[in-house]
Amino acid sequence: MNATQMSNDKVVFEAVGICKNYGGVKALDNVDLNLMSGEVLALVGDNGAGKSTLVKAITGAISKDEGSIYFDGKEAVINEPADAKHFGIETVYQDLALVNELNVTRNIFLGREILVKGLLGKWFGFLDYKKMHREVVELFDKLNISIHDLHREASDFSGGQRQAVALSKTVQFGKRVAILDEPTAALGVKESHNAMQLVKSLKEHGLSVIMVTHNMQHVLQYCDRVMVMRLGKKVAEKSVSDIDGDQLVGLITGATNTHSA
Amino acid sequence: MSTLESNSPISNANKAIESNMIKEQIIHQLKQMSQVLIGLVAIYSTFWILAPDFRNIDTFLTILTQASVLGILACGTTIVLISGGLDLSVGSIFAVVGVVVGISLSIYELPVWLAVIIGLFTGGVCGFINGFIQVSTGVPAFIVTLGGLTAYKGVAEILANGKDLSQFPESFHVFGSGYVTPTLIMFACALLVGIFLRKTRTGSHAYAIGGNEEIARLSGVNVTKSRIIYYMIGGLMAAIAAIIQVSRLDFAQSSRGVSYELFAIAAVVIGGTSLFGGRGGVSRTIIGILIMQTIIVGLAYLGVGTSFQRIAIGVIIVLAVWLDVFKGKSK
Repeated sequence: MNATQMSNDKVVFEAVGICKNYGGVKALDNVDLNLMSGEVLALVGDNGAGKSTLVKAITGAISKDEGSIYFDGKEAVINEPADAKHFGIETVYQDLALVNELNVTRNIFLGREILVKGLLGKWFGFLDYKKMHREVVELFDKLNISIHDLHREASDFSGGQRQAVALSKTVQFGKRVAILDEPTAALGVKESHNAMQLVKSLKEHGLSVIMVTHNMQHVLQYCDRVMVMRLGKKVAEKSVSDIDGDQLVGLITGATNTHSA
Repeated sequence: MSTLESNSPISNANKAIESNMIKEQIIHQLKQMSQVLIGLVAIYSTFWILAPDFRNIDTFLTILTQASVLGILACGTTIVLISGGLDLSVGSIFAVVGVVVGISLSIYELPVWLAVIIGLFTGGVCGFINGFIQVSTGVPAFIVTLGGLTAYKGVAEILANGKDLSQFPESFHVFGSGYVTPTLIMFACALLVGIFLRKTRTGSHAYAIGGNEEIARLSGVNVTKSRIIYYMIGGLMAAIAAIIQVSRLDFAQSSRGVSYELFAIAAVVIGGTSLFGGRGGVSRTIIGILIMQTIIVGLAYLGVGTSFQRIAIGVIIVLAVWLDVFKGKSK
């Protein structure tokens, strides 16, 4: 009996038998993933293990060749990023989080802008920019993000500020699941710490989180479970309390060959 | 209760931040516009000093009127360029619409209002074809609209069948006659395009799509639909420009509109809209077209020939794009 079967009532998101081929290369080979309600699941593996491809395949950013996705136990059709958002799944993709040319408010509400009430909004799509701005101020206040100049373009912000803005989107719109692809990549120590505090707050706000990361310390400190991938396959799935850093590195590199899923 | 809420510290803080943000946005916009506006004033002042005949209101009005046709065309090009696209076919759409309106009025003797609607519809359809082919085939905008440039020109020649069309009803001349109407139509088009870009969802998506199409798509923006709309507006603006010129000249011909697409792109780029997408605005485009027209008229008053005028415009286009590249690198 696997972890999913043991706590089936708690599974919020499940991907079964996901396959993705690029020509003759199997980028994803029959990968299963399950996410329990209110947990932070780390997705780890070496470069080229298939982590980001899996994230893109389960969120509709790329098409999968085979496999099914279940949300709250029911099959969910996710062919486009908009489909995932419909289920309350919010994703922060690595290097594809913010449009440099847009300001903070427009970045956060991109694709889900608030329209003015009445015919101007309904027929012509007029934006309620004031309301969006007000909600961003409240959101940043709630998350202790200290960015005040919201009219500035995203390109003017530091890596840490950009990641904070990107993560805040998941709180604003991720009703159930947040998927984060390398949220601390290219960040300094202090900025990484701040980003991880935000990840922690996602859980506190009731979201279940899948986090792709290379940072073993973050896995052991902030995550509940860890899933290890190697060469497009899932090779292990463990509770963080059952594993230490050395064992984890062994699983990632292939030095240890344990499969507990 | 509502009084208490509206006077609460959080509400007051929000209002203060909002008010501050709006002020900063206005200052930001003015700063961006001021660069090209200072350029226009400097160029205008130079000709004012150098050419005595330049110093009268008629010259100013001539610049405005002559700028209106290309200015309207450039309003559509602004949207397309901001969204990271390119439209080389607007000059040929201009020719098709001119001929269609000419035929409607002089051969079929349709009412003016109907001829105008048919002209606008034709422009919109041409833009739709451009956008649809591009998003459905994935062929780059440069190639699709280059094809459109020659194909629409061919359509205009077939429709005109070698004839020059003229002697349109008097009521049709209202669109292009005098100084005021074409200029007002240009400013009205610029205002509408500005509102579309800044205040509406589909318009504001042009900046996101031009900035990073993949992020826009991942964020749930319907890139396909938006792109088609941008090209349709480009076609519609070409149609309005064509109607004004046909009305003004009382003459329609399939050879009209040659190189207009390049002048429109030049005006947009001189105005500071990025050739690489994501940044820009229509108010700056209007200043860009006025800069171009001021140079052309000013040099003519100084006795400089057309060839040298073209060289001057060419140099300014290269300088404007260089500035755009420089700004991009500094970001």
